[in-house]
Amino acid sequence: MSREFTADLKKRIEEITARYPSRQAALLPVLHLVQGETGFLSAEEERAVASILGLPPIKVREVVTFYTMFTRKPLGRFHLQVCSNLSCSLAAGERILRHLQAKLGIGVGETTPDGKYTLTEVECLGACEQAPCMMVNFDYHGNLDPEKVERIMEELK
Amino acid sequence: MAKIFLDGKPVEVAEGTTVFKAAQQAGIAIPHFCYHPAFVPEGSCRLCLVEIEGSPKLELSCSTVVREGMKVSTQSPTVREARRGVLEFILAEHPLDCPICDKAGECKLQDYYQDYGLTESVFREFKEKREKKVRIGDKLILDRERCVLCTRCVRFLAEITKTHELGLFERGIHAEIGGYENEPVRNGYSGNLVDLCPVGAITDTDFRFKTRPWFLTKGESICPLCSRGCNIYIDYHPGFPRVPGSAKVYRIRPRTNDAVNGPWICDHGRYGFIDLQQKNRCQTLVWNKGERTAEWSWDKVLITIGERVKALRENGKTNRISLILTTWLTNEELFLIKKIFKDGLGVRNVFFADPAPGPEDGFLLRSERTPNRRGAREMGFDLKAPDLNALVPDTDILFIFGPHFAGISHDGAWKPALEKIPVKILVTSHLNELASTADFVLPAAFLAEKNGTLTNADGRVQKIAAIARACFDIRPESQILLDLAREIRLDDSYFGALSAPEAVHHELVKEIPFFGALP
Ligand code: SF4
Ligand code: SF4
Ligand code: FES
Ligand code: FES
Repeated sequence: MSREFTADLKKRIEEITARYPSRQAALLPVLHLVQGETGFLSAEEERAVASILGLPPIKVREVVTFYTMFTRKPLGRFHLQVCSNLSCSLAAGERILRHLQAKLGIGVGETTPDGKYTLTEVECLGACEQAPCMMVNFDYHGNLDPEKVERIMEELK
Repeated sequence: MAKIFLDGKPVEVAEGTTVFKAAQQAGIAIPHFCYHPAFVPEGSCRLCLVEIEGSPKLELSCSTVVREGMKVSTQSPTVREARRGVLEFILAEHPLDCPICDKAGECKLQDYYQDYGLTESVFREFKEKREKKVRIGDKLILDRERCVLCTRCVRFLAEITKTHELGLFERGIHAEIGGYENEPVRNGYSGNLVDLCPVGAITDTDFRFKTRPWFLTKGESICPLCSRGCNIYIDYHPGFPRVPGSAKVYRIRPRTNDAVNGPWICDHGRYGFIDLQQKNRCQTLVWNKGERTAEWSWDKVLITIGERVKALRENGKTNRISLILTTWLTNEELFLIKKIFKDGLGVRNVFFADPAPGPEDGFLLRSERTPNRRGAREMGFDLKAPDLNALVPDTDILFIFGPHFAGISHDGAWKPALEKIPVKILVTSHLNELASTADFVLPAAFLAEKNGTLTNADGRVQKIAAIARACFDIRPESQILLDLAREIRLDDSYFGALSAPEAVHHELVKEIPFFGALP
């Protein structure tokens, strides 16, 4: 099943594609736009974007799953993304993840029942100098330890 | 041309050649997973690293283009160390289930570990568990633990079939190959993924756990399932001495020929071949005498048939012999038929009954689903379908080659018509309803079981060889034909000289030079 986008969304997609040498090249900004409208990218949105840009749906799925900015499930209000790549792992990043799991009572990739927090594990956030680190929505937090995580969580309330 | 130095050796290659290909041309093998000659280089596996003088880091040979005067080292200690490191990373996450892996014995990871790895694992953590049995196609199973993420499978489906069934999802340690919403690989070329996968991550349900590659012998042949004439390997177990019937064909693989099939074959040929080679085979010589059926010996049957033919010849009535041929016959067999029946006995009633044509797929598979129609045409045969009305009243002896005559009409109208013909001789590798209507049934060799040549639709004359014998009391048609010629004393000096292997082919080329173009 493919979904129909609204005329307005379609118009804005066309505005984006016009800026690129080929329609396919507009995939990332178009996905950002659509995700901003719909909250997350389900198979319906992937297929619709694929057909608008002339791509096979699997290419869209590859991109959506590669980048941590895209999500295929609805997210909680606060998206906690904990890095599990090399530098952070060496700096005991796993402890941060375990701490958050225990605190929120959810597993990786899950959202708390009140829809407030979503916890995900991500690859290198490009901030290795502050390892271990995580992102909350669009903000970086580095040099974490469980106490610092507690303080950050306090502020999110 | 550019001159470069490979491990100190000067080599001239064409401008624009990659270092990898230059090395290959110079006979230097560079290990690789993601590179495949049919695809655009991807540069993801990092195994093909080489050292280039003046370059601060190692470079990917698969995607680096040569420059005049470039000095490349493919075996320096740094290079070997880098390859060892890449392999160590792959093996840290590899299940090492070689003892039960179909690919073991022809696996690139095993080979490269042998050449460059040989490390003790320093990995003390638990390995990731992944799915080991994902059904990704009709005959395809994906083992995600064995996958080295080279994306050859993904690129095959994107660049060659353009069907895009598989993709690479997620990244880092979570990266995995999969179908969109688990849709399976569905195209006429899916079997190539198994050959393409450098490790045992994609396996074929027909081959899975059946045998080990090192028990198999490979024979070179030509696919007989359409007129493309793809070049193939037949991988067969030669059987055990003193165990009759133990030889067996296990799989068909493409044999690269850029002028015909490139490195691929279609599923119709790959899977159809084994079915044909193994199912419904005609194995025993039979003489249907009215109500009774008797098994007979080759000598007796040939004498009996010879007598009938000679009787017609004495009365000057050999034009009452008719033929129904098939283009499963090789060029050489068709030539013998032409010499014996058309030129020797003056037979005029010649028809062809072939496998029914099918749709063309725009890539390899052609609509003529038989290997040698072009050969028959070049031999001067008119490939007309059997016409029962023209056939029956004029025929005393009918020779039918191949089983396809039974398929000419679905209403079975051929049956009562055939019964009106006094003598019917069926020479066939496969059994169907025809066998009960024929007076003599002579078991013949299937294409992979005899020597000869086939002409594909483009006019390429290609060799097949007697490789695997599925059953025993069969004879190649060429032998049956020569025996018959001897039996009826047809030009002894000419046919007598043709029994040596290759002799028929020489004679054929002498008479029709078209067939001399053996590639
Ligand atoms: S399944 Fe095989 S071909 Fe496909 S990415 Fe994995 S290793 Fe490569
Ligand atoms: S394209 Fe024709 S010759 Fe080639 S593998 Fe398929 S059936 Fe055989
Ligand atoms: S490894 Fe965590 S930010 Fe780079
Ligand atoms: S072969 Fe060059 S990176 Fe894989």
